[in-house]
Amino acid sequence: MKVSRNWLQAFFNDPLPSAQELADALTFHAFEIEEVVNSGSDDILDVKVTPNRGHDCLSHRGIARELSAILMKPVKEDPLRVQINLEPPTDAVSVSIAEPTLCRRYIAGYIRGVKVGPSPEWLKNSLEAVGQRSINNVVDATNYVMFNLGQPLHAFDAGQLRAENGAFAIEVRKAKAGENMIALDDKEYTLADTMLVIADTHANAAIGIAGVKGGKPAGITEATKDIIIESANFDGVSVRRTAAALKLRTDASSRFEQVISPELAAYGMYAAAKLIVELAGGEIVGFVDEYPLVAEKKQTEVTTAFVNATLGTELQDTDIEAALTRLDLAHVQEGGKFVVNVPFERLDILIPEDLVEEIARIAGYDKIPAVELPKLSEPVAVNTNFYWTDRICEFLIGRGFSEIFTSIFAEEGDRAVLNKVDSVRPYLRRDLLVGLREALDKNVRNKDLLGLRQVKLFEIGTRWSKDSESVILGIAVEHIKKEKSTTDFLRELGESLGVTIAEVIDLPAEALAKAGVEEIDLSALLPKLSVPDAYGTAPSSTTERYQPFSKYPFMVRDVALWTPSGTSPEDVLAVISAHAGELLVRSELFDRFEKEGKVSYAFRLIFQSFDKTLTDGDTNERMESIYTGLKEKGYEIR
Amino acid sequence: MGFTFEEGPLLETEWYNFDALNVPKDHPARDMQDTFFIKDEEERVLRTHTSPVQVRYMEAQTKKGIQPPYRVIVPGKVFRNEATDMTHEAEFFQIEGLAVGEDVTLANLKGTLARFFSELFKGASVEVRFRPSFFPFVEPGVEVDMRLVGSDVPDKLRDKWIEMMGAGMVHPSVLKNAGVDPRKYRGFAFGMGLDRLAMLRWGIDDVRLMHSADLRFVNQF
Repeated sequence: MKVSRNWLQAFFNDPLPSAQELADALTFHAFEIEEVVNSGSDDILDVKVTPNRGHDCLSHRGIARELSAILMKPVKEDPLRVQINLEPPTDAVSVSIAEPTLCRRYIAGYIRGVKVGPSPEWLKNSLEAVGQRSINNVVDATNYVMFNLGQPLHAFDAGQLRAENGAFAIEVRKAKAGENMIALDDKEYTLADTMLVIADTHANAAIGIAGVKGGKPAGITEATKDIIIESANFDGVSVRRTAAALKLRTDASSRFEQVISPELAAYGMYAAAKLIVELAGGEIVGFVDEYPLVAEKKQTEVTTAFVNATLGTELQDTDIEAALTRLDLAHVQEGGKFVVNVPFERLDILIPEDLVEEIARIAGYDKIPAVELPKLSEPVAVNTNFYWTDRICEFLIGRGFSEIFTSIFAEEGDRAVLNKVDSVRPYLRRDLLVGLREALDKNVRNKDLLGLRQVKLFEIGTRWSKDSESVILGIAVEHIKKEKSTTDFLRELGESLGVTIAEVIDLPAEALAKAGVEEIDLSALLPKLSVPDAYGTAPSSTTERYQPFSKYPFMVRDVALWTPSGTSPEDVLAVISAHAGELLVRSELFDRFEKEGKVSYAFRLIFQSFDKTLTDGDTNERMESIYTGLKEKGYEIR
Repeated sequence: MGFTFEEGPLLETEWYNFDALNVPKDHPARDMQDTFFIKDEEERVLRTHTSPVQVRYMEAQTKKGIQPPYRVIVPGKVFRNEATDMTHEAEFFQIEGLAVGEDVTLANLKGTLARFFSELFKGASVEVRFRPSFFPFVEPGVEVDMRLVGSDVPDKLRDKWIEMMGAGMVHPSVLKNAGVDPRKYRGFAFGMGLDRLAMLRWGIDDVRLMHSADLRFVNQF
């Protein structure tokens, strides 16, 4: 939520510190700050109000209270702590709530003779600072109060509602199936019978989607003279569903969604009526307050001992007292026990742990020491699956395998995802084989660059059948004559685990082995292995930092040469490196033999650039330079 | 430190992934994570975090008549229904930690994490700080930042506060949902993205590499 520093300043006599200091204060004691933006004479803080504080902090008043507690600066006057009364009552408007569980309170305020026009500069600036467009003085006043106090409001043009016997009738009811309404955004919405609407009873027409958006026909225009202001409380779940179904999320709906106290409605109405009369003139005819079930006052208690036992701190009664006072949490103290009279807007404070959090963040999380857990008397229980999975990794890595992770999403499968954002590969994989096969092909192409004789991969991952999920070991081995195959490795793996795999679980069909990929069901195999009494050492990497690799293709060149007896491969490589330059990324001796007192060496050289795709020309140029160097040394290129 | 490994299913019920963790249906907190739902299977989701294993583990223990202390860590794949880029993957790894006992405190969380980071970064000097945050399954809830100090720390990491994970004291409702008496026991829990941790530890610039099955990447480790 965008918060204006100038707007906040209006709550305080003392000058507030810089925007950055405000941001830090909130960061370490209340909320994350997404960004701080300077805009001329104002600074805007984008405050990430957490869902538990949507009840009271989606407002400048809420943020001002937080800052007051954190910075220990008193607020001038808290608009939610002043005595208000909505006088006089009127029977020029009647309100009936057909769904009291979905609308806990509905206040209508009737004002006659307003003059709709542009808003004064201060109001325009305030709204623009928080990203709102100024519309007219009446609408701006209701928006201002929402951003100030957190209570969404709406103003109807009473002239567009039907009066009978000199009185208007407003009804809060469910929409009729298929009922249509053109909203203030000029779009026509077709409503479902689960959605709550505000209706003009006499006209039998919806004039607003409750808590979401007002209707166009009763919207405020330049011609509006008489208005009915709505300050109501709508059910969070109902508003959330309606807004989601209509794809119409508004500043009002996002506040109701978070659930706000019905008590707030009165403060919202009071402030809005006052501001409208101030800006647009007119006369308050009166108010109707339909509030069938008054919200209960809540108490929550906490003890100093409980706070310290949760946080691991040594706070004193006086520290708790100070934190509660700073937070404006009225309380009664009896020794180390604090009974808090929870303010109506703080719907988040329900249990002692909630108070512990309040105290911790105000006292400061930096006060919490770092203490290691006490030693356990019992030895650590060993998770058999993890133990054996580690052994399998160890075995395979020891035989030159690389562990990979492929996606669980597949082109085919027995179960599908309903709502995949990118909508490709919507199925849950039914085997690891497809992914392994792809990975094998991909890596075989890079074999020379990787300096591998045979590409060998494994993955330990999950697969799904119609009704079960199991953990699978999949292996993929590049087919090379006379080298071991997947089946050989699986057999040896079994031996190392102390079982004959074929005897304990079903092995895959032979056809798969031929394709170079096989998988076995670890969920079936591991329970058949012995239970270890301690974890072994887990395989770990000694790599310090990752080195980015080139995304461009590489080129391979072989060079074979005769050297005098006694020449070592390193001698030759030194010459090659010196003449190859940066493009040579790998070199490998792949053949050596002696004949007539001379030694023949053959090297495979891999060239690659970080910046471009190498051409034959680029590579040949490097090779020429290498040949020259080798010849100078007296070696004979074959 | 006395933690053992634990695991749980990737295809979860909404109960374990959300409700048991104090995230009721239609609560705005469910918006905090983009969830994959399963076609024609009501109440089934790809788990959005490793936290469901907290409840599954405690429930299994209490059913066996084993009371706390409990200490588990849960590494595993989790899923978020979002578009992927250099810093976002739809499938990634998390590690969950849970310690429950009669005397577990938020100070123990700080101590445990300080030790964990210090060992991960090969004994570097590590500072840990908490910031207030909100996760429905913990109360108080905190965001954990870490900073490495000292001359042997890579330049890119030295003296910089890095956001590492969400954590807090296990919400009493979660303990209750798992059959543990919240009046007698309390605990801490943390959940951290392992991919992000590895990216920091080894200076990896693209999270997708981790799931690329590309040996040009994999074989460096």
